[in-house]
Amino acid sequence: MTTNPTDPEKEKMMTENYLWDASSAPDPEIQRLESLLADFRQADRALVLPAEMPAVHHRFRTVLVHMLSVPRLAAAATILLALGVTLFFALRPKPEPDSGSAWDVANLEGAPQIGTKTIAAHQAPAKLHVGQTIVTNADSRASLSQTDLGEIRIDPNSRLRLVQTDANRKRIQLDVGTIHAAIWAPPGTFVVDTPSAVAIDLGCSYTLQVAPDGSGTLRTTLGWVGFHLNGRDSFIPAGAMCSTRPALGPGIPYFEDATPAFRQAIAQFDSASQDSPAHSAALSMILSEARAHDSLSLWHLLTRATGPERAKVYTRFAALVPPPRGVTRSGILNLDQSMLDLWWNSLGLGEISLWRYWEQSASPQPSPNSHQVPQKKQSSLEDMP
Amino acid sequence: MAVLSELRSPRSGPRAVNPLHEPGGPDDALVRAAQSGDRAAFGLLYARYSRMVHGILLARVPFSDIDDLVQDVFLQALPRLADLREVSRFPGWLASIARNRATDFHRRVKPNEKFDEESASVQTEQRVPSSRHSSHSSAEAHAVLEAIRSLPDAYRESLILRLVEGMTGPEIAARTGLTHGSVRVNLHRGMLQLREILARKASPATGGAL
Repeated sequence: MTTNPTDPEKEKMMTENYLWDASSAPDPEIQRLESLLADFRQADRALVLPAEMPAVHHRFRTVLVHMLSVPRLAAAATILLALGVTLFFALRPKPEPDSGSAWDVANLEGAPQIGTKTIAAHQAPAKLHVGQTIVTNADSRASLSQTDLGEIRIDPNSRLRLVQTDANRKRIQLDVGTIHAAIWAPPGTFVVDTPSAVAIDLGCSYTLQVAPDGSGTLRTTLGWVGFHLNGRDSFIPAGAMCSTRPALGPGIPYFEDATPAFRQAIAQFDSASQDSPAHSAALSMILSEARAHDSLSLWHLLTRATGPERAKVYTRFAALVPPPRGVTRSGILNLDQSMLDLWWNSLGLGEISLWRYWEQSASPQPSPNSHQVPQKKQSSLEDMP
Repeated sequence: MAVLSELRSPRSGPRAVNPLHEPGGPDDALVRAAQSGDRAAFGLLYARYSRMVHGILLARVPFSDIDDLVQDVFLQALPRLADLREVSRFPGWLASIARNRATDFHRRVKPNEKFDEESASVQTEQRVPSSRHSSHSSAEAHAVLEAIRSLPDAYRESLILRLVEGMTGPEIAARTGLTHGSVRVNLHRGMLQLREILARKASPATGGAL
């Protein structure tokens, strides 16, 4: 969490025992600060818990408790338990030396593998290290977890690799398959590379699917996610989804409750070539079918449409969601980023400064918080605008 | 809703010896008990860790919102406890949830609403009935808190836990999951930077009161 101190600094630190553990004579300056700041200290307040506290279902434990209520069974259980514990400690594999940076992998079903090694069921979690790949076949599922990050459940027929794990960024590469991510790390920490886009968690839960041809789909269930490739960004809030294709990158996101005609038109707009009649027809359909709620898609269309098409999108968008103060027609038609950001923020779908912050922080910078794990250069990350 | 009124967080100053901390021992057992649905165990974890959560939040969000956010952090942690496979990682895990909750707090604040402790200070003073200080001292306290908050993340967190929450260095390490070395460095360097900032503010040219 910090850089190594120099020798003189070490000496000085060792003399600051009052600051460290209050074990030496009080330092008057620190005492004065303590006294000044005491009113900010936590007040005495009880924790209010829900009436029903969620319990963890340990079936084994429940069975054991029942067994222990019968004396003879209790004795047998004790012997079995002792044998089991002895065998466990005798046979368990030695821990990896750098397991602190590794992620836990648990077998949820079947025989998922790390490399060529199968992860056994009902055992302590295996470790996934940077550079290693986890693979599930048609009958297996696994979960990947990291205390500071959250949990990622891996569906059958998936293959992913752990690319980076340090204090500021956790990164995996999903080559194919489906993951369900529930992330509690700060927004911008968790990044997933796919063949056709990079998904950046902005505080949420989502499902990401990658097909064998490299195309993908992202559905957000909580918070929002940024989808990025080659300067093309899509933001996918809860309830929305977005497709992505190799070379083209993320398409227009849309809410899943949009009309079928709207959704079909979005797909057509994303796939048709820009000068084709199908492209124009799709845009007309999108604009006519759009509800105020679909302003998510219209906002993205502003940057995807060109020339007169962009003006049409502006007109429809402005009719559904009036531009906030500071946003002008000419500014939007010229793709003024600050105006686009203002209008996005007025939609209430997520604070875009989080994304801008992520863009800025994508270039590694020294920080007192940074964990001293060597960072592999990730071309797709450093290529961010 | 039920109130565990007997499980209150301690309000105490710095101690040379921390009776709550026995590394790897009682806290691990408490976490396991809480994972199995033991309310009292979770309440004890709250009693032991709420100061740490309070300090992490105080480093990042307005004082007037912190008490509610502390509760939020523990209520967010509760259903997720089942996912915590290594109970020894509970301190770092809980600290991460607290930091994440602070980030989430700012995400929900309207874009043109900037975090301003000055404007929040009126509420703060209303909420501190036991304030022992004059209004001048209170303003000075806010200025010191702001100075700490201007420090890099790691430094301000450690300093707030030490100077505000009254935790010792070893206790900060145990409660946040950091190493002793990291905490010692954070406190030392944070204090150096804080002294510089306060000295600048106190210089006659700026008319500062510190």
